[in-house]
Amino acid sequence: MSDAVVDVRELRKTFRVTEREEGLAATLRSFVRRHRKDVNAVAGITFRIDPGEVVGFLGPNGAGKTTTLKMLSGLLHPTEGEASVLGYVPWKRENAYLQRMTLLMGNRSQLVWDIPAADSFRVLQEIYRIPDGQFRASVSELTELLELQELVHKPVRNLSLGERMKVEFAAGLVHSPSVAFLDEPTIGLDVSMQVRIRRFVAEYNRRTGATILLTSHYMDDVVALCKRVVVIHRGRLLYDGPLADLAERMAPYKIITATLHDGAASSADLDTYGTVVSRDEGRVILRVDRNVAPERTARLVNDLGDRLADISVEDPPIEEVIDRVFTSEQTTVSA
Amino acid sequence: MIRTYRALLVASLQSAAQYRVQSVLWMLLEIIRPVIFLAAWVAVANSQGGQVGAYDVRDFAGYYISLTLVLQLVFSWNAYDFEYEVRMGRLSPKLLRPLHPIHYAVVENLVWKATTFIPLAICLAVVVVTFDARFRTTPAHLALFVPSVLLGAALSFFSGWVLATTAFWTTRVHAVSTLWDRGVFIFAGLIAPLALLPGPLQTLSLVLPFGYMLGVPAEILRGGVNVPTALLLIGGQAFWVVVFYFALQRVWRAGVRQYSAVGA
Repeated sequence: MSDAVVDVRELRKTFRVTEREEGLAATLRSFVRRHRKDVNAVAGITFRIDPGEVVGFLGPNGAGKTTTLKMLSGLLHPTEGEASVLGYVPWKRENAYLQRMTLLMGNRSQLVWDIPAADSFRVLQEIYRIPDGQFRASVSELTELLELQELVHKPVRNLSLGERMKVEFAAGLVHSPSVAFLDEPTIGLDVSMQVRIRRFVAEYNRRTGATILLTSHYMDDVVALCKRVVVIHRGRLLYDGPLADLAERMAPYKIITATLHDGAASSADLDTYGTVVSRDEGRVILRVDRNVAPERTARLVNDLGDRLADISVEDPPIEEVIDRVFTSEQTTVSA
Repeated sequence: MIRTYRALLVASLQSAAQYRVQSVLWMLLEIIRPVIFLAAWVAVANSQGGQVGAYDVRDFAGYYISLTLVLQLVFSWNAYDFEYEVRMGRLSPKLLRPLHPIHYAVVENLVWKATTFIPLAICLAVVVVTFDARFRTTPAHLALFVPSVLLGAALSFFSGWVLATTAFWTTRVHAVSTLWDRGVFIFAGLIAPLALLPGPLQTLSLVLPFGYMLGVPAEILRGGVNVPTALLLIGGQAFWVVVFYFALQRVWRAGVRQYSAVGA
């Protein structure tokens, strides 16, 4: 018996799409005969999420992330496979399930455009049948966490994108869901607003213990919020495990940054230690095979002696790791 | 559910309050068609010695005024709104709430009718006086009008939703709904009172659902049919309401499975 909040087994979604070549002749032919093609948006993925986890769901555009979230929230029926969220089959969309989950999409609005958010919250209170006391507590908490005091009494159409996103968050969470699917929650927001939303998600998870599955193209979101990531590409699962191990598994190299006292001239002879990625004044960045990184670092320290002002050995930036994952054909790795 | 409806009504009224002028303009647009037909039939009647079939000029006025009122009380814009919501992905948040999306449409329809009723009533009063409209309405007709107009509204609403639900497959329902609107135009009593349609068209208007939406309640309100006939016609309305209600259940279930959450 599974105690996972989200339990996905061999989930598949195939869309049948119409294809045609460009040009007038092809257009005219398409009136009579259409070529259809099956596209495997999600090609059999399996993973579990335990209560209270915040998991990053990563993949390039078209990887199948949003399709998966739509299936898990109940918007889409899968072609094959099984999923259970909080013990419910999502696409049956039972009210008991809908009352305990939310899907927030960064580029979509669910608020009534012409009225203040506070009035939309009242509507949501009745739709979700939230008792008065719980509603007041929830709105008060969300108002405090998201700093909404000035915003909830203005018509939504008068809010800026960032303000609207904060209010959308409150609307999506006013019923205190146990599971939240967040699809690109910080898309289009400025850096300061992204940071606030990240802080809010982390705090919300800490306070409520809600389970969160998050997609984002901003790796800062993932690094700030997710200890664990699930990576999919072309509908298939590539990696499922700790974010910290992703680089180790997917990028077999380390980055050595050496800063030299005597400037760029003396960096010319560093090619023998690894692949020089960049040189900037006295600062040289080397890519070195993960297995030999300690030995090369020791050699560098030894050979450069007093010329070395500073040296650091790090995993490559997460963006670089992810890019490497998506641009190469990798087999499934599970941590 | 009553509390939910109250909350939705308040929100919908607040939205409607932002667009008062637009609402009145839409209402006037809705009135224009029947008034044009009224003017045309008055011209025809006058050219034929003041009578066409059983209708004289004052009867035509009574009929088209009743029809305009019924149109206002019965008609809904479901198909157009729904297509927009499916195409723009705005349906998705509604599908993920523990409330069937049909309830939002019910409330929006009620608010539209409520907010435009008074200006409509004023316009119709002017038309009544201008054309010296005749009504043969008895208390029995008034009593029968209530279920008849409710059934007409339910029929219009459910059939509109069945059409709208085709958006799950096609994303665009404009062509389907336009075809349906043409059916309404010919067979619902807009172009002419059902009793004046040529033989085969009149038979069709009683077989197809269109006439039961508008023409039947309008004739009952005007007192244009006797009570036994009115009861028979109300039976026809009830039949079509049941048909479209169950059709909607089936089509909705299948459509939601089909839904590809376009643009969501």
